Amino acid sequence: MAGWLGRCATLAWVAAAGVPVLAAQQAPPSQQQAAPPFEAPEIRDTTALAGPRQPVFFRHDVHAGQYQMDCRYCHASADWAPYPGMPSMKTCMGCHLIAGAAIPEVQKVREAATANRVIEWIKVHRMPPFVHFPHMRHVKGETAVKAQITCQTCHGPVERMPQVYQFASLKMGWCLDCHKKNQVTTDCSACHY
Amino acid sequence: MTDSMNRRRFLTVLGVTGGGSLALSACGAEAPEKLIPYLIPVDDQVPGVATWYATTCRECPAGCGLHVRVREGRAVKLEGNPEHPVNGGRLCARGQAGLQGLYNPDRVRGPLAKNAGGTFEPITWDDALTRLGERLGQAPPGQVWFVTGHEAGTFDRLVNDWLAALGSNGRVVYEPFGYEALRHATRQVFGTDEFPWYDLAAARMVLSFGADFLETWVSPVEYTRAFTASHAYAAGKMGKLVQLEPRMSLTGANADEWIAVAPGTDGLVALALAHVILRDRLSAAPADAARLRPMLAEYAPRAVSPRCGVSVEVLERLAREFASQPSVAVAGGMGAQHADAHATAAAVHLLNYVAGNVGRTVVFGLAPNPAGSSSYRRLVELVHAMEAGNVAVLLVHGANPAYATPGGLGVGAALAKVPFKVSFARFLDETAMAADLVLPDHDPLEQWNDFEPKAGVYLLQQPVMQPVFDTRQTGDVLLDLARRMGDRVAARFPAASYQEHLESAWRGLHRRLGGRESFEVFWTEALKRGGVWAEPRRRGASLAPGAERLRLSPPVTPEGRFALIVYPSSTLYDGRGANRPWLQELPDPITKLSWSTWLEIHPDTADRLGIAEGDIVEVASDVGTVRAVALKYPGIRKDVVALPLGQGHTALGRYAQGRGANGYALLPAEPGAFGGVVHVTAVTVHATGAHEPLATRGGKTRQLGRGIAQAVGLAALLKEGFEPHHEQHAAPIPEKVEEVLDQWQEEQYRDWKERGNYAGAHPRWGMVIDLSRCTGCSACVTACYAENNLPVVGKELVQRGREMSWLRVERYFEGGGPDPLEFRVVPMLCQQCGNAPCEPVCPVFAAYHTPDGLNAQVYNRCVGTRYCSNNCPYKVRYFNWFDYQNAADPAFAWPEPLAWQLNPDVTVRSKGVMEKCTFCIQRIRGAQHQARMRGTPLKDGEVVTACQQSCPAEAIVFGDLNDPSSRVARLASDPRGYHVLEGLNTRPAVTYLARVWNRAEV
Repeated sequence: MAGWLGRCATLAWVAAAGVPVLAAQQAPPSQQQAAPPFEAPEIRDTTALAGPRQPVFFRHDVHAGQYQMDCRYCHASADWAPYPGMPSMKTCMGCHLIAGAAIPEVQKVREAATANRVIEWIKVHRMPPFVHFPHMRHVKGETAVKAQITCQTCHGPVERMPQVYQFASLKMGWCLDCHKKNQVTTDCSACHY
Repeated sequence: MTDSMNRRRFLTVLGVTGGGSLALSACGAEAPEKLIPYLIPVDDQVPGVATWYATTCRECPAGCGLHVRVREGRAVKLEGNPEHPVNGGRLCARGQAGLQGLYNPDRVRGPLAKNAGGTFEPITWDDALTRLGERLGQAPPGQVWFVTGHEAGTFDRLVNDWLAALGSNGRVVYEPFGYEALRHATRQVFGTDEFPWYDLAAARMVLSFGADFLETWVSPVEYTRAFTASHAYAAGKMGKLVQLEPRMSLTGANADEWIAVAPGTDGLVALALAHVILRDRLSAAPADAARLRPMLAEYAPRAVSPRCGVSVEVLERLAREFASQPSVAVAGGMGAQHADAHATAAAVHLLNYVAGNVGRTVVFGLAPNPAGSSSYRRLVELVHAMEAGNVAVLLVHGANPAYATPGGLGVGAALAKVPFKVSFARFLDETAMAADLVLPDHDPLEQWNDFEPKAGVYLLQQPVMQPVFDTRQTGDVLLDLARRMGDRVAARFPAASYQEHLESAWRGLHRRLGGRESFEVFWTEALKRGGVWAEPRRRGASLAPGAERLRLSPPVTPEGRFALIVYPSSTLYDGRGANRPWLQELPDPITKLSWSTWLEIHPDTADRLGIAEGDIVEVASDVGTVRAVALKYPGIRKDVVALPLGQGHTALGRYAQGRGANGYALLPAEPGAFGGVVHVTAVTVHATGAHEPLATRGGKTRQLGRGIAQAVGLAALLKEGFEPHHEQHAAPIPEKVEEVLDQWQEEQYRDWKERGNYAGAHPRWGMVIDLSRCTGCSACVTACYAENNLPVVGKELVQRGREMSWLRVERYFEGGGPDPLEFRVVPMLCQQCGNAPCEPVCPVFAAYHTPDGLNAQVYNRCVGTRYCSNNCPYKVRYFNWFDYQNAADPAFAWPEPLAWQLNPDVTVRSKGVMEKCTFCIQRIRGAQHQARMRGTPLKDGEVVTACQQSCPAEAIVFGDLNDPSSRVARLASDPRGYHVLEGLNTRPAVTYLARVWNRAEV
């Protein structure tokens, strides 16, 4: 499984270029990597990578790092809804109908979409039970913006991760450290109900 | 494909929200959770964001408008549509439990055929339709019969047209609560088939002759709204309700005066009042009312009084009160449908006519339509045809005649003589069990349809989610069958689907209404609003020829027997609600019993017969015998007993089957003179020696001076004001001690108010419950179950006092004997005390005080010591004795797919955890998030709790007590306000406004 991934950077980006332009214009609060441009490395051995093995070797470092796509292009509701949302197969195919057609992992996605199947991703970030975490307040909320909370604050440098792993413990003490630092509520019932 | 999509959507929820709210599968680090994306994104489905669809409630014929809350493709809550002309945003318990019809684990999951062995086996839709098509093709002309419930609109016409295309006129509409007596009387007195509409909002005095308009009668939510609008105390004024009935119904319990007339003699009272009004010229009666004089001469109060048991003085006084203010008299409750009910209803019509109410508060032109052309007599004809072998194919949709008809009619035996029976039932009810083919219909929440509950009101139903099972809408089945019956029939039904058929019908409506917008705009707008409606012109009516020939013949109960009233259940209706666990567990508003059938019997009578509460008694009429548990009820005459309908199912799934008794078994099969089922009959009662604990947590029926549900007379309130009494709990404390205590307490507050989360300004969430509006209907209780994922625990655990209802409606009686019997209700929920006894006793800080004044309960900190519950004087904390969310636990509360109803915003609690009312904290936090995201402060009225939202009487107001301009803060300082057990110094956030009785001072 390990040796097939070529250097993604050599691929021609032909997806009508709508996506990266959008990302650059919006200047989101979440993540923007300044220059120098990043090139995702070629990976021949995936066994050493942290995080759960996904059914498709989807590379956040290529999408969010090298092509600087906004996180919200795929996780579209992160800044206005409690849950960030997962991209539909149609979202994948928006680009991959044309882009990257030769890459074996992309072909898995294309085959699934053509057969009306979905990719069942393995959940990486698991919060303990009995707690509510509204994404939008942490992305677009007043204090979050002021404190420069970005997606990376909790999820880590996803744009450099070939395979995503859980970056933070997501335990209550970790939540509270940040809440205390930024002097926002530490009331139990803000999250536990 | 649709099924798998549906499954996928459900898994999406589990995946995306699994870490937080739906904790069912979140335990155990080993099993990887999956995040399953959509294949194609659905525009209106965003994880974590609710979508609302407008549709129509079909749980009873009232036609209330719904807003259905949909999360991740699943309906999770039903609320009223605020714009709606019928229910104005409110919804009763039965309507809300429609969700449990959709997700009922006992739904028919696909077409079934009965095999030679008499059991059902699944078949394909194509096979099923082929079999039915063949049978229809072979049936002799005129031998195809179709029984439906009340339908009003496109489906109703489709059934008629479809039958006509088959050459049959065998349509039978059967609605067990058909109001035949009232319809008969209206024809007789006013010469019209139209159902009258009663303007309770415009009446200052309502005189009800057994009409239970607060619980089941015609359109309960609409009438509750109208009634409380005029009856609730406001600014020194309120209306008056006088109820005449032998057994106090919920409506009677809310009456300012309940008059226990002898059964069947209520018509005499009506005519006596009409007599007095005409005799003393108390009103501007229409000229032709003079025709009634000779007939009314016989009904002078002096002559009537001994027969009905109401004194001459009361009759004279009621007549004066009735004629001196805007008033209305209402008759026709199903529990009052005795053998002479048509004459009674006619007498009440005449009383309204004489008082000049017809055209003012008794209105024609609006044509409410609670039963359509429903006719029990026509059903009897069908049964005779079945017995004679003249029915080849019988189709049944939306009716359950094998259950909801008097036992003596013998529907079961007659069904056996029909060679081919088809049921479109969603559940295997008694009629479906006898069928050869079951073609399950979509749930109303999965359907396209329309409904016309009254003139000018055209309501739409749209699917709010993908079908849960392999069901098919009956309209589509009929169209499909038509296509199989050759070109001649097929040509009459060109639509490819029922949805298309409905749309073409609405194109016709669009033309008729003459809208200037395009049809597409009209259709989309109608879907969005829930339909189209206009207020039709109101009409009066004049006396029909022969109206003066009314003769009353009150039925006489033979010596030594009781008059039995078999009345509609306010929770289970005619029995159709019995498979909804919420409704089974919801205590009856009057008796506070759940999961059972009881016989209401006066305490004196019970003592005379040696019957104790909880004894199993045998009730025998001329036609049948049932067993029920005896309940001593002070709100019933000594010569009367009463039994609710709704239980005693022999089918209908795990929640309904084999529970209680079916009251229909006691009723005579012959239709009354008015063509309907007679609901009052003579019975004997005797104890069987068996006994069971009552399935209730009602506790004491008397307040014992605790001042929990307080009330005041109108005259006293106006003269002296209201002084709350706390006899036992406010023991006199020396003045100085109280002062010192208060100071000490303030010190405590000041200390923690300056620290951490508590520093700064916070809201204090509070609630006001106006008991002069609350009727005790318990819609709020079901709303709480739906919103907060409360488990249903079942009869055995209710008997052990372990139900989980965060909000209960406590009921007490006052007075009785020589004094008037008073019914008091008080919705009891966590009082969110400012000085809460539960908090300091928690050893693990699971029960604590939030900065915004809530007594929070942190589930993952709770270790289940139950100290908090022991220390709560209101008894509003509930402990999870069992793992209700665990399929392996015997108490498992949500068998698949019932778990789909769970609110993803609220934690599903596990075993060993204490829980209680949170003031719907998920709604508070949700509204706060929205306010913070848009950058403006939260406005008063933006947070609406689930109980407040559902309340048909608008008795509950919620908001911030620290904001002096909020509605709740203003109401909390109302002179009628009091706190329950105030003397304990708990400082509750819930203020009750005392009930006000508008009754003549004796």
